[in-house]
Amino acid sequence: MRRIAQALSDFIDRRQSWVFPAPAVIVLLLIVVFPIAFNLYLAFTKWTIGLGQPRFIGLDNFVDLLTDERVLNGTVVMIAFSGLSLALEMGLGLMIALYFNREFKGSEAVQAIYIFPFAATPVAVALIWRIMLNPEVGVLNYLLRLVGLPGSLWVSSEHTVILSLVMVDVWKWTPMITLIVLAGLKSLPHDPYEAARIDGANALQIFWHITLPMIRPVLIAALMLRSLDNLKEFDMIYTITQGGPGIASETLYLYSYTVGFQFFKAGYGSALMVVVFLIVLVFNVVMNRLRLAK
Amino acid sequence: MRSKSVFLALAALLALGMSWSDARAEVNWKQFQGTEIRVMMNKHPFTTYIEPKLAEFEQLTGIKVVMESFPEDQFRNKRTIELNSGGKLDGFMIMATQDDLYYWKAGWLLPLDDFVKDPALTDASWDQKDFFPLFMKANTIDGKLFGVVFNAETSLLSYRKDLFEQNKIKVPATMKEFEDAAKFFHGKEMDGKKMVGVTLRGKGAAATSQWSDFMFTFGGNWMEKGKSFLNSPQDIAAFKFYGDMLRNYGPEGATMLHWAESTQLFMEGKAAMIYDANVFKSLYENPKDSKVAGKVGYAVIPAGPAGSIPHLSNWSLCINKNAPAKQQKATWLFIQWATNKQNAVKALLAGVPAGRASAWDSPEYKAGDKNPDWTASVKKSYETGNPQWNPPVLNVPEIRDIVGQVIVDAIQGKDVKASADKAAELMNKKMELP
Repeated sequence: MRRIAQALSDFIDRRQSWVFPAPAVIVLLLIVVFPIAFNLYLAFTKWTIGLGQPRFIGLDNFVDLLTDERVLNGTVVMIAFSGLSLALEMGLGLMIALYFNREFKGSEAVQAIYIFPFAATPVAVALIWRIMLNPEVGVLNYLLRLVGLPGSLWVSSEHTVILSLVMVDVWKWTPMITLIVLAGLKSLPHDPYEAARIDGANALQIFWHITLPMIRPVLIAALMLRSLDNLKEFDMIYTITQGGPGIASETLYLYSYTVGFQFFKAGYGSALMVVVFLIVLVFNVVMNRLRLAK
Repeated sequence: MRSKSVFLALAALLALGMSWSDARAEVNWKQFQGTEIRVMMNKHPFTTYIEPKLAEFEQLTGIKVVMESFPEDQFRNKRTIELNSGGKLDGFMIMATQDDLYYWKAGWLLPLDDFVKDPALTDASWDQKDFFPLFMKANTIDGKLFGVVFNAETSLLSYRKDLFEQNKIKVPATMKEFEDAAKFFHGKEMDGKKMVGVTLRGKGAAATSQWSDFMFTFGGNWMEKGKSFLNSPQDIAAFKFYGDMLRNYGPEGATMLHWAESTQLFMEGKAAMIYDANVFKSLYENPKDSKVAGKVGYAVIPAGPAGSIPHLSNWSLCINKNAPAKQQKATWLFIQWATNKQNAVKALLAGVPAGRASAWDSPEYKAGDKNPDWTASVKKSYETGNPQWNPPVLNVPEIRDIVGQVIVDAIQGKDVKASADKAAELMNKKMELP
């Protein structure tokens, strides 16, 4: 008996490097790797939940994706929404960070208030925006009319729905970019600035030739962090428009949810998820290259 | 021990009471004593009504009911996933003509005919003939009954009786009069509010149920001879009329109106008319939330080229085909009890439109009926409506999205014919027939 215990103890001692992480690895395999692998398998099957078992159909789902109008629409919506909101969040985030990166009276209070949108629960915020954006009873049109401007249809029109959603996203997430960039700015060395000033560089030149190159890795890191969420934005869009009017704000990610959980087409929905996953992956690989490039 | 004997005495009294009301043979309500059944419900006024009464059923039968309820979207997801995983769920509610073909094909719906015919399982007082025939038909596939209706829905034209009387406007009996009335009220200032003529659901797939009333009334249909009928002249006329009404005389941003937003507008007193489900009477007439309580009149859908044909939808209770036999029988006792005559009347008084004629004709209901025009319109609809409120396909949500897109296009004033042509083509491509 003691020999067995001794043997076991020796065994563990010699293999500490994998015995101790094993429980964590097993849990990860079960809750992360298995679902992803199963999703990948389903992507190559035809399966409506309840109607028979998953049937292997090779690449048929992906061929169908190419001719599915809602996939094309979802891709365009995703590019428009993400492109616009990421660009605005980066631009505004950087500008506001530059502004905050100075000493001024009450700067701490302003900064604390400024991060409120980012700190609030996404769905709660989206529900409030949904009411504010209502053309008939919402506060936004009320304010516009108060100053003599015509109201907008906001998310109720195909023409303005993307811009309205971008507005909400920018309002909510710009503070996050600011926070990250501000941390980057605070860590910059002072010497290059002093040298530049002695050489007579103006503020724009300093920003363009010193600040921007130095915080580029931080900017790209912030963009990567934000894009991970933004490219698969769900809760805000779903809460405010559910992809409407019609499918005018239905991103690929929303459409895959609809296919999986409203139509219960698990095979086709999984194929869509694989496509979304690849888009996010490729985007991030490219960004990471940019970040590391000299 | 004492509480148990009190229970038994109560149960005996109850049983006695029931046998008095019906002299014929009574089922043995205790035959599945000790069984536990799991029933999944949508958050619905009927669920609110029946949940506190479960103790009554448990006393009567000794069957324990575990009832779970969820908001509609989660409910539909969870129900599908659970049924797919086998027999852990015994009973559930379903909206017939929406999910039933899919569930039937998946093998999740137990045919109830054998239970209904069995005198050992079905009490004579349950009286199948009391249910409205059109709703029984809506709960039948291939001649087999799969569900029992407890909430019979149709849609009605609800209008501001006070404003119609003040301005001497006739209650619309035709689509032309409907449009004229909407036109009259739209944009007028009344009680300090700028009115909209009419409010209707406009949010794509969510609007197809009420739009179907216009489709039937304009002589259209979902399909003819196995092909989509969406681009028929009749359907296009219905799309156009519906879209024009909302664009010209409806609230701004109608493409985002679901029933919650639409009824809210009406309850705020900002709309002269609304066409939506009859169950919403309980919202309009609730003085706590509604500014128009007591001022609303009710009528059937104004007549079009094909007459006046509202859609009929219903919630019914079903049994999981894959549940164990004993659970299924115990669940049948539950369904029978939940849909019996007494519960139908009491639920109706609580605002759940009953699927039983006897409930509507009962002295209790008639005595408390404050809206006889509502009652008369509802009863008329139950006789003349069309229960096919969704396309007769397996993938209803997918096809509803396609129909909904035409509604959204029509509201935005786009080329309805082009949109309907495209929708018909898509529907032909995507629909899965049973």
